[in-house]
Amino acid sequence: MSTPDTGERRRSSDHRPVITELIDEATVQSIAEDVWTALVGEDEILLPIPGELPADVVSSWVDVVGPWTGTVVLTTGRESAAGLTRALLGDHAPAELEDDDVADAFGEIANVVGGNVKAALPGPSALSLPDVGDAPAVRNPADLCRVDVLWRGEPLSISVQGALPALPFPPSTETTLNQNGVSL
Amino acid sequence: MKILVADDSRVMRQIVIRTLRQAGYDDHDIVEAEDGADALSKVSSEQPDLVLSDWNMPNMTGFECLQAMRSAGSVVPFGFVTSEGSPEMREKAASAGAMFLIAKPFTEDTFREHLDGMLA
Amino acid sequence: MRALVIDDSRAMRRIVSGTLENLGFEVNQAGDGREGLDVLADGSVPDLVTVDWNMPVMDGLQFVSAVRANPAYRAMTIMMVTAESEHTQIVRALAAGAHEYVIKPFTADALRDKVGLLGLLPQEAVL
Repeated sequence: MSTPDTGERRRSSDHRPVITELIDEATVQSIAEDVWTALVGEDEILLPIPGELPADVVSSWVDVVGPWTGTVVLTTGRESAAGLTRALLGDHAPAELEDDDVADAFGEIANVVGGNVKAALPGPSALSLPDVGDAPAVRNPADLCRVDVLWRGEPLSISVQGALPALPFPPSTETTLNQNGVSL
Repeated sequence: MKILVADDSRVMRQIVIRTLRQAGYDDHDIVEAEDGADALSKVSSEQPDLVLSDWNMPNMTGFECLQAMRSAGSVVPFGFVTSEGSPEMREKAASAGAMFLIAKPFTEDTFREHLDGMLA
Repeated sequence: MRALVIDDSRAMRRIVSGTLENLGFEVNQAGDGREGLDVLADGSVPDLVTVDWNMPVMDGLQFVSAVRANPAYRAMTIMMVTAESEHTQIVRALAAGAHEYVIKPFTADALRDKVGLLGLLPQEAVL
């Protein structure tokens, strides 16, 4: 049976935590490295060097709903996503990859990275099924933890982004007045 | 022995099967299911000796499948293989009647650790 | 402060309206997203809208998408109400423009806390 939402879950000091209070880039990097070693290959390396993502990218993501609510998004170029898929499929990789294969593999990587990020965040929380496509937009730039790496020379980004807009909103006239009551 | 592997990701089912083999359990029949509902029906029709299941799946989650199995009186050993390995998930799994929870990403050693008692 | 409560369950509408009225809101109600849009079109824009996720005719997600497309409703704060079983989908409503969410069953305190966080408790609006 579900326990009622008494506000306890999210009352941590009367404010909504942003992700930077809960997890850091080093942890996200470390999670990604563990996932790559296990799923992509023992000798795989993720260099913590930002690169410019190509124009044609694909993203996969899972949502986390709990004391912190948001999304763990992986983004990389289409070729790179195909490479990841082949690595995961191993001997089962067909000559021609289907969109379904990439959605499955890239989605599963998001699932495992996301699941481990979720485990590092305060609970209880729930994880959604993975989705693949155009990355969900960043809702609040202050609620964002992003790691950019190079995998086999290709840029890949892991973004842990909050789904709730920044407070206060909507900006009321009171909050945009300076001390003399002059509108800014 | 017959092992039922349930995961909505085909690639992950392959990885689980591959890892079973790498861990030395290559002498068993494997049956696959792609969601909780499929798994539940195959528990009936295939009579596996062990179920290895993902947690989050469409149609019916692995957790719901386990609950349905135990409510129906099935004592088939069940272990989760899931991306969520927190203490609270492990507790939830154990309370519902799972024997173990293997967190992804896993290694063949993790598999041996949890399965050595059960599989030859 | 004005609120609009949208839910296909009359009981839920009564409960949520009651809590919001106790917090000082003037509350209107609607039974689905379509009715909610009609109420908005008819009168002044409320400060807060609570929307159930799962409704016939027009559900919460569709309502949020319709509302956020209209600049006249920009100043409205939208809170989704969702059941435990659906709550992993709540991020879709947030991405469509909802601002907060609450999972049912919820206590009056939980709702009050969230309304407070949003800066909408009537006493806090008086500086």
